Amino acid sequence: MPVENTIRILLVDDEEKFLKTVSERLSIKGFNVMTATNSDDAITAAKKEKFDVAILDLQMPGTSGSELLKILKTNHKFIEIIMLTGHASLDSAVECTKSGAFGYLEKPYDFDKLLTTLKGAYEARLKKKYEHNQKRTEDIQKLSLNSSSPLSFLEALARLDDGEK
Amino acid sequence: MKKSTDLLKYESLAFFGKVNASISHELKNIMAIISETAGLLSDMADMASTENPVSPESLKSYTGSVIEEIQRGFNTIRQMNRFSHSVDTPITEVNLIEMIDLVIQLTGYLSFAGKAHVHNCGDSKPFVKTCPFLLQAVIYQALVNQFKNGGPGMETTVSVCSQDQSIWRVIFSDIEQDSAHVFPDDNTKDMAEAIGVKIICTANRLELDIPSSIETVS
Repeated sequence: MPVENTIRILLVDDEEKFLKTVSERLSIKGFNVMTATNSDDAITAAKKEKFDVAILDLQMPGTSGSELLKILKTNHKFIEIIMLTGHASLDSAVECTKSGAFGYLEKPYDFDKLLTTLKGAYEARLKKKYEHNQKRTEDIQKLSLNSSSPLSFLEALARLDDGEK
Repeated sequence: MKKSTDLLKYESLAFFGKVNASISHELKNIMAIISETAGLLSDMADMASTENPVSPESLKSYTGSVIEEIQRGFNTIRQMNRFSHSVDTPITEVNLIEMIDLVIQLTGYLSFAGKAHVHNCGDSKPFVKTCPFLLQAVIYQALVNQFKNGGPGMETTVSVCSQDQSIWRVIFSDIEQDSAHVFPDDNTKDMAEAIGVKIICTANRLELDIPSSIETVS
């Protein structure tokens, strides 16, 4: 199965035509895409479904893309985020990077560049998750060695559970 | 008028930059849609040459979308041109309705903009002799204040009414003043003062009294 088929994308932009066209192009390339026209809908969608990468427009009415970036990064540990903007500035790029954005593209952008950035973001997510799981396995091994009884082992294990499914 | 000229050099330049940035943002959005739609049509053509036929409805819908966006681009460039020419003459006679209409279009490019309509209360055309650029800046800031306070879904009507022969009153409806967005700021206050515009702004009232002629302003 091509890697694109396994990548779940949340695409958020208040320009509906843009949203429709980009999601269709990404779908043709095999990605699983869900769209939202505002931040509130995006937050709800991210609560219901798990996404690997979110592509966010920076300037949207209501909750802005940069605020949405912070919310998604806080609530979804492994999600990677790519920002899109028609209003690119060094300040906003720095702010988004500080808030944890993986990439920052200026509209209109080259579609191949978006694909490359998407794949890079997915790889970063996999790496982050792998490292997290590896650390967790090590922690569990340490716990099992140090626990005096099966019950204390289970209690310590529960404390390790961060709720990430 | 010395004060107006000075202001044109400083505060107005910032306003000019802000509006131009919002126009370029709009044009980039349009170009992004056209670029993506052209890309999609190309993807569809590739697919058609292999195994998947392309439906004529899809082609029609996407080419229609490109045509609409090009039209939107032309309109934006037209507004940009009107706005750019507002600095041609320091003092001139302008139609308030036309000016407010342009300001509504310009604020429409802001991400937080709601909807606004202009309404002429009387039968006569409201002409004023003023510094068009400064008046435009003051009305723009008033409308921006409206949208910031009212949120993205807000609708407002901007009415132009004759007070007496020397004053036109511009009234903004559906006022929701939020202390976080105080209007007018110092720059807007300075610009309004320079052209004799009186700003009346309270919790549920936003009005601008504009003199029919700047020459009568002391």
